[in-house]
Amino acid sequence: MALVVLGLSHHSSPVTIRERFAFAEARVPAALEVLRSSRVVEEAVILSTCNRVEIYAVTSLAPPVAFDSLREFLVTCHNYSDPLTDELYKLSEPQSVYHLFKVACGLDSMVLGETEILGQLKKAYDLALQHGHTGARLNKAFQRAFNVAKHIRTETNIQRGSVSIGSVAVELAEKIFSRLGDRAVMVIGAGDTSEKTARALLSRGVRSIIVTNRSHAKAVVLAQQLGGRAIQFDEWAKEFQNIDIVISSTSAPHYILDRVKLEPVMKLRRNRPLLLIDIAVPRDIEPEINFMENVFLYNIDDLQTIADDYLKQRKQEVARCEQIIREKAAAVLGRPGPPPSSGEVSPAFGGR
Amino acid sequence: MAYSVFLWRKGFRRDDYVNYSMLLLGFGLHTTAMILRGFRLNHCPVTNLYEATTFAMWSLVAVYLVLGLWPRFRFFGAFASPVLFGIGVFALMPNLDAEHGARLGTPTAWTSVHAALMALSYGAFGLSSVAALMYLTQEHNLKLHKIKALFSLLPPIQRLEVVVGRLLLSGFVLLTVGLVIGAYDLSRLDHPHAYRGDPKIVWSGLVWLIYLGLIVMRWKFAQGGRRFALGAIGSFVFVVLTFWGTNVLSPLHNP
Repeated sequence: MALVVLGLSHHSSPVTIRERFAFAEARVPAALEVLRSSRVVEEAVILSTCNRVEIYAVTSLAPPVAFDSLREFLVTCHNYSDPLTDELYKLSEPQSVYHLFKVACGLDSMVLGETEILGQLKKAYDLALQHGHTGARLNKAFQRAFNVAKHIRTETNIQRGSVSIGSVAVELAEKIFSRLGDRAVMVIGAGDTSEKTARALLSRGVRSIIVTNRSHAKAVVLAQQLGGRAIQFDEWAKEFQNIDIVISSTSAPHYILDRVKLEPVMKLRRNRPLLLIDIAVPRDIEPEINFMENVFLYNIDDLQTIADDYLKQRKQEVARCEQIIREKAAAVLGRPGPPPSSGEVSPAFGGR
Repeated sequence: MAYSVFLWRKGFRRDDYVNYSMLLLGFGLHTTAMILRGFRLNHCPVTNLYEATTFAMWSLVAVYLVLGLWPRFRFFGAFASPVLFGIGVFALMPNLDAEHGARLGTPTAWTSVHAALMALSYGAFGLSSVAALMYLTQEHNLKLHKIKALFSLLPPIQRLEVVVGRLLLSGFVLLTVGLVIGAYDLSRLDHPHAYRGDPKIVWSGLVWLIYLGLIVMRWKFAQGGRRFALGAIGSFVFVVLTFWGTNVLSPLHNP
């Protein structure tokens, strides 16, 4: 039985494709059920974040056969009919274990060393565990992955400094607004990343925070935690004219903010600058909006450019982390770990 | 100028004290030359086109050197240098430095104050166009999600917009006062009405209206940001390109 990984991430595909493969959290248990009932895999975890959609599975089939079935499952599940070239990647042991550890440590993240992914990975694993879709193999691999992530965090400098999406958002805000102390922030969608981004802005002294979410109860809880105010989801547009920074991360399947909606609001706000951070996949904000004057829109892929520079600065630490991960992966597999990242991820299919 | 190009290419990440030092040296030499010329003429050297242009340049550099005492504003020089270079080349054009010979009446203190205020107002407009250029550069980098936007030493675009607005307003006030004093000085001539259609007077009125339009557009109709910055640059380019021509055509200023 082998642990395999099939998926797509910000390394292999743009947000326009990733958003079409994203799983809403509520859909994951049913998807896992379908996957396991197909008898292709014995255990499975689905990780779906804004930067990656991955299936971690334990299978008794030969990996090439399992990969074909997993690809078919992913494509069918999302009614995806466009051609695929290198967007999907496949990993079998030992690279699959090594990859899981790298993901847990944030080494495969857009913003190197960020910690949000560990929480998202734990959540994905817990969801599969609660519904009985994991077994001895995946339990051991994931528990070790969490331990390695903790070890890396305490023993290396990989997670120090400005490495999160929240910190990058703060840097952007500081390049647009004279003083963050006068700014009002709106959080649309009470997700984990948006909460962290809002906290990063709060730590720089933003004036006020408004939270809105489809589930108003969640918005109220987050607003209380942030010291802000919760509003009903259908009222967010009314508050928009007083807002300077928007963090959007809803799971809406379509744009919630487009040019037609924003243009009259910009007139009401007397064309004051507006920073829009769209960390949702599928995207919440129409890209066309970035062409509007005094509006600055950044989606999850746009942050990649900023993350790249941090990547350069932390190369030394990456080498250390990879050495630790290789040793830990070897302990799990009972054999020497895979070589450093070269050839670690391979495209799954030549075309479709 | 060459060092500014270097700084532009490096995304303003380098310490630009070299640029500041070079402008400081140039300012010292310029001040010495102006003092010597002033003593030779026995009045403030702002009475012909060459002198007015170089005085506007001098005031522009003086404001920059004060701003540049704060390291975070020093990069301003990388934007100011190309503008100064352009104005300097313009000032060296032939026939601008006319002989201080026949004039319409004796230059009075009011004439000097008028010329000095006009030069200072153009200096302020020049600096506002420099700040507007900085705004457009940073806005462009932010819009296109370039990493240069985060690593450059440029201040936030909102602050730059405020700087453009304040410099423009200061320039407008100086221009208004300068024009009022000029009108008073003109009224003391023998036949002031003969100069009603003087090209320089008409042109000055037009420049005044253009800047008034920009100010009203910003404060009344909230047309800030990119459009405002382009307006500040466009207006100053118009001033630079037409200043010499109208002066040559003006019997009042070029008898």
